[in-house]
Amino acid sequence: MTLQRTDLAPLSECAIETHGLTKKFGSFTAVDHIDLAVRKGEIYGFLGPNGAGKSTTIRMLCTLLKPSSGAGKVAGFDIDSEANEVRKRIGLVSEKLIMYTRLTAEQNLMFFGRLYGVDNAELKPKIEELLDMVKLTPFKDRSVGGFSSGMRQRMNVIRALIHDPEIIFLDEPTTALDPQSTKFVRDTILELKNEGHTIMLTTHIMEEADELSDRISIIDHGKIMATGTVAGLKSEYGTESMLEVFLTVTGRELRDSASDRVSMKAVGRM
Amino acid sequence: MSGWKVTTEIAKRDLLDLWRAKMLLVFFILMPLLFMAMFGFIYPPTVQVNPYSGQIASQYPNLELAIVQQDTGQIARNVEAQFIQIAESQGIFRVNEMTDYSTARNGIVKGQVSGIVVIPQGFSAAIQADTQATVQVTVDQTNPSVAAAVQSEVAEIFGAIEGQMSTQYLQNFDPTVNPTFVLQPMAITSIPLIAGVPSSFEYLAPSFMALTVITGALNGVSTAISREKEQGTMDGLLVAPIPRQSVILGKIVAQTVRGLIQGFLILGLSMVLFGVVIYGSPITMLLVMVLGVASFIGVGIIVTSLAPEQETAQMMTTLLQFPMMFLSGILFPINQLPVAVQYIGKTFPLYYAADALRKVVILNASVSIIMPDLLVLLAYSVVTMAIAVPIFNRAMAR
Repeated sequence: MTLQRTDLAPLSECAIETHGLTKKFGSFTAVDHIDLAVRKGEIYGFLGPNGAGKSTTIRMLCTLLKPSSGAGKVAGFDIDSEANEVRKRIGLVSEKLIMYTRLTAEQNLMFFGRLYGVDNAELKPKIEELLDMVKLTPFKDRSVGGFSSGMRQRMNVIRALIHDPEIIFLDEPTTALDPQSTKFVRDTILELKNEGHTIMLTTHIMEEADELSDRISIIDHGKIMATGTVAGLKSEYGTESMLEVFLTVTGRELRDSASDRVSMKAVGRM
Repeated sequence: MSGWKVTTEIAKRDLLDLWRAKMLLVFFILMPLLFMAMFGFIYPPTVQVNPYSGQIASQYPNLELAIVQQDTGQIARNVEAQFIQIAESQGIFRVNEMTDYSTARNGIVKGQVSGIVVIPQGFSAAIQADTQATVQVTVDQTNPSVAAAVQSEVAEIFGAIEGQMSTQYLQNFDPTVNPTFVLQPMAITSIPLIAGVPSSFEYLAPSFMALTVITGALNGVSTAISREKEQGTMDGLLVAPIPRQSVILGKIVAQTVRGLIQGFLILGLSMVLFGVVIYGSPITMLLVMVLGVASFIGVGIIVTSLAPEQETAQMMTTLLQFPMMFLSGILFPINQLPVAVQYIGKTFPLYYAADALRKVVILNASVSIIMPDLLVLLAYSVVTMAIAVPIFNRAMAR
């Protein structure tokens, strides 16, 4: 489905854009020629059922996967040919904890900070500031392995911020969290937007998409089914509920399937 | 951040991680030591004759032996007394005189004695008549190692007694003949390469060093990569603006360092616990170990990159380790094996690493002497790394 011309921001204002971005795994097409345009400073929600291709898209934009065809630019750099430049400017918060469980919170952040080339002198105060932001300062010297899932996700968030990236990708950030942690993460996301970051967020939680996103794309079977502002979509589909919009666009049938291919998420296959 | 700095950062982090898993560290040192102890104490040779003193040294000192005297003659009693004297003064056997064979046999069955020597009726008479007398030996066949020891030690002792008897006889027969010449026209003296009587630990210590270091390299890299994948931190590394090679190189450096530390710890502990003496240069040993690790890291990386999850990778490396351990001359020299099997053993880098290390440790071999071994290890390293690094990078960039 092509984007409406009015939905497209002028290219120079796009933090993230894709043209015909496609990913195939053998004969299976996970992401099918998608066009995206995410404006600078907005929160862009990527909403879809499981297996729709959300994570695959994010992974391509984060340079973790090479596209099968099509193009993408993040922060003005091509995701294929200028991957290293892209990596300098993005932060990834994935569902998995990107932390070394045997090391302490501080040791983890020091390590990743150094990888991003953050100056040693800047690093320590930055870490303190970040730990304070997510209220984990008392746990600075404790092994991350012992943290609860809410604490881990907060660590995940600040890990992604250590190098002050322009663009932050969040892949299902609150899926496994308790209500307090969920609220905290969502508030943090809004705060990051206020600070000028661009945020792309995938989720299958309707309230989250509703509450946080400036604009949303609904993806299903690897294709974009609908795009627009939250208010715009609700009025287009004549309903106050994001869930209704979603179910109208993607259909109400159950999505049962048993594939022989073990899901990449479950096993973390390279 | 430059490639080398990143590599160092990643290596340091890996080592820090390892350091914080102290239980694992202890395990990695204790396991090989335990293996060494087990193999060291059952390893033949069972009898060694000290080339300097002529003393018979036994792997199983003070074994319980039964002696059954069935002859009533004086000669038989003298021989028995001599046997007991030699056996006990040299700590070879503790001799128990038993009245009859069936009691002695029960002794073996009950585990009270490890062997029986019977001096049968007619022994004295035979010697008196200048004819060959017989001595009968029974050993505990349920324990082949001890049985072999008893057999050879009894033979050695009787050999000594026979020597005396023959000398006596010759002197009586013709005092002008030199008895030593008749009995043993040629004496074989041994000029040892190193002082002292080498124990089996001299063979095992460098073998186990090589084994630990190499299997550590195989497993270590494999585990390190899998853990990153499963922890999700691999994504964290790949999404960072660092050169791809640094990820794998950092792991390689960390594993090499870990392997070397393990190897030297084992050597050190062997010296303290098993009395191993080092004759060679530690620098040369270091060189061998580094090359040994390098030769195997590539294999570890290839296995992990191709296996879908850690369990499979683990199985594959174990599958590789076992035949390697038995066929590479770690536990015993492979010239005891059939030639075809020996060829298989010689395809493993472990064979060359263990061989080189042994020569350095026991015989103080210099680099030029072990050069053939080193060249094989170098070739393995280069080839496997050349295959492994691109495979890893390609698996990353899916």
